[in-house]
Amino acid sequence: MKSKRFEVLAARPVNQDGYVKEWPEVGLIAMNSPFDPTPSIKIENGRVVELDGKRRADFDMLDTFIADHAIRLGNAEKAMAMDSLDIARMIVDINVSRKEILDITLSITPAKLTEVVGKLTIVEIMMGMTKMRARLMPANQCHVTNVKDNPIQIAADAAEAAVRGFAEMETTVGIARYAPFNAMALFVGAQAGRPGIMTQCALEEATELMLGMRGFTTYAETISVYGTEPVFMDGDDTPYSKAFLASCYASRGLKMRFTSGTGSEVQMGYAEGKSMLYLEARCLAVTKGAGVQGTQNGSVSCVGVPAGVPGGIRAIAAENLIAMLLDLESTTSNDQTFTHSDLRRVARSVPQFFSGTDYICSGYSATPNYDNMFAGSNWDAEDYDDWNIIQRDMKIDGGLQPVKEEDVIKARNKAARALQGMFRELGLPPITDEEVEAATYANGSNDMPNRNVNEDLKAIEDMMARKVTGVDFVKALDKAGFSDIAQNIYNMLRQKVAGDYLHTASIFDENFHVYSGVNAPNDYHGPMTGYQLSDERWEQIKNIPNAIRPEDI
Amino acid sequence: MDQELLMKQIVEQVMHAMNNGAAAPTAPTGKVTAANYPLAENMAEKISTPTGKPFTSLSYDKVISGEITAEDMRISPETLEMQAQVAESVNREAFAGNLRRAAELIAVPDERLLEIYNALRPYRSTKQELIDIANELDQKYGAKTAAGLVREAAEVYEQRGRLKKF
Repeated sequence: MKSKRFEVLAARPVNQDGYVKEWPEVGLIAMNSPFDPTPSIKIENGRVVELDGKRRADFDMLDTFIADHAIRLGNAEKAMAMDSLDIARMIVDINVSRKEILDITLSITPAKLTEVVGKLTIVEIMMGMTKMRARLMPANQCHVTNVKDNPIQIAADAAEAAVRGFAEMETTVGIARYAPFNAMALFVGAQAGRPGIMTQCALEEATELMLGMRGFTTYAETISVYGTEPVFMDGDDTPYSKAFLASCYASRGLKMRFTSGTGSEVQMGYAEGKSMLYLEARCLAVTKGAGVQGTQNGSVSCVGVPAGVPGGIRAIAAENLIAMLLDLESTTSNDQTFTHSDLRRVARSVPQFFSGTDYICSGYSATPNYDNMFAGSNWDAEDYDDWNIIQRDMKIDGGLQPVKEEDVIKARNKAARALQGMFRELGLPPITDEEVEAATYANGSNDMPNRNVNEDLKAIEDMMARKVTGVDFVKALDKAGFSDIAQNIYNMLRQKVAGDYLHTASIFDENFHVYSGVNAPNDYHGPMTGYQLSDERWEQIKNIPNAIRPEDI
Repeated sequence: MDQELLMKQIVEQVMHAMNNGAAAPTAPTGKVTAANYPLAENMAEKISTPTGKPFTSLSYDKVISGEITAEDMRISPETLEMQAQVAESVNREAFAGNLRRAAELIAVPDERLLEIYNALRPYRSTKQELIDIANELDQKYGAKTAAGLVREAAEVYEQRGRLKKF
């Protein structure tokens, strides 16, 4: 006989996910692998001669880079001599300040960082996040893409996402040659929705930098680093090329962060028998050593790997905490789809959502799941109200707020019309009134008319050859009668001259005032300290349109 | 700011630009700290573009009229140095180092910068090619820290077998 109970359970979404038993020898283990190195450091004449049990002669490229650039040597021997359990306890002790923790954690090795966070339960990791994230107030980032690379839809979805509260937006492409259109549509749409939003376009490294130099984007994030040398080589980079690239961005006044995550090494077949978390700690040390202000981490696009092993979702939270312990801006993934289960996908986001991070998602899909070109997201446009109501239930700030349908329609329409005007002034293939109308009311690309792709691609090639820049967007929008949006684009370009937003965990408000770890540092030290919801913000979060008013009964 | 002072500042900026960044960029006076941040609001008069235009002179109308171009909307080495000092004042010395390396690279044209980045990728360059790039950065652009990073890469790539195969 078969159990009817088991039959029901077998059909549940959670049982359609893949799971695997631990296999430490190939790196299929989230954290605390028996093959992880024992933490150690030896310094002679101001030079690291031993790192995590390896002598300098045996260093690979990552060891060399980390030893030479990533660790504060002044305090290193003392910090390394501390008991990891003591450091772990200090992280959750409200009487020990963020600064005191950083004095220790910026001086220890990847293996030591891994050992320290390995002592923490998931709730203690969350307490650590609350204290250790760089910026006082949390924020959120979204993806704005679609399967057709339709720029009018990108502009409209970006404008809506802006009204909903995202501080940063990221696009990418289906067809690589569409990138300039996607980047400019995102830029215009975001600034039409709310002034001061930062935008990026994820592409191959050199192309991404080129678009930034041209003023099509205001920051970059998909600068990947990996935890073993062979995988780094497969990624076609080295810690040195990436460090150089980081400086290239800053030299053009562009904000940037690196990207890494647990599971990438085992997925690419070279985990060298180390735990996923230890390899991620190496990535974060490389990030720190390159002098980059922040990281997007939390497994990111490899989430299926840690999610399949025991403790994997805890390890993802732990890797976010290590980023914070290295004083890096923490942009905490919660992006790629990894499960069929709605319960699991919420639980996966609880640590970052409830604790608050610099960017909780990176990103939340501002489109239906089918339009997300980063392989779907853990949170999609269909989940907007769920997110808002969870914020309301828990009295937390996840960066979004409830909106009115008429405000969203207005913003989407304005963004679509602005892009229509800008295309006309720049001599690009026309955007029809029919397309504007469709983008105003669309849920996804299924609701959008098709464009002439060949004509678009030809126009893009011509536009790039003409050396069109962000300054030309300003002029074109002004000519088209959208001087308010043009002013916003101008103001974003102007920020590149001052460079305030290069700093750790920066965001802009609607007046282009920057908030970062410099002027809005996280000062949490126990109950009723750190970021507290203002009355005004709580009103915004709690006032969902579908709540019954007692006086109406 | 009176007109005379403004003119003096512009002349100084132009003179500096003519030196092609060979001298290490320095902040105008004293150390800048987190107390001065954001510089766009609190030290606007100390910021200028690499083309020598004061930050306070930038305006939307000048972009529309064409008086301000994309070349003007860039960060200068002096501004990055000030931001590096802000970073140091909040104990972010690694980040400050990156900003200083970046300050040196402002003078390198976009195309060349992209070529150098690509040359630093694995198996792209011989050791001599990397040393030549380091010398170029050092001698042509005064980019000493960036040149140091490229020399370091040349050594490590050789040890790890990541140079261009013949």
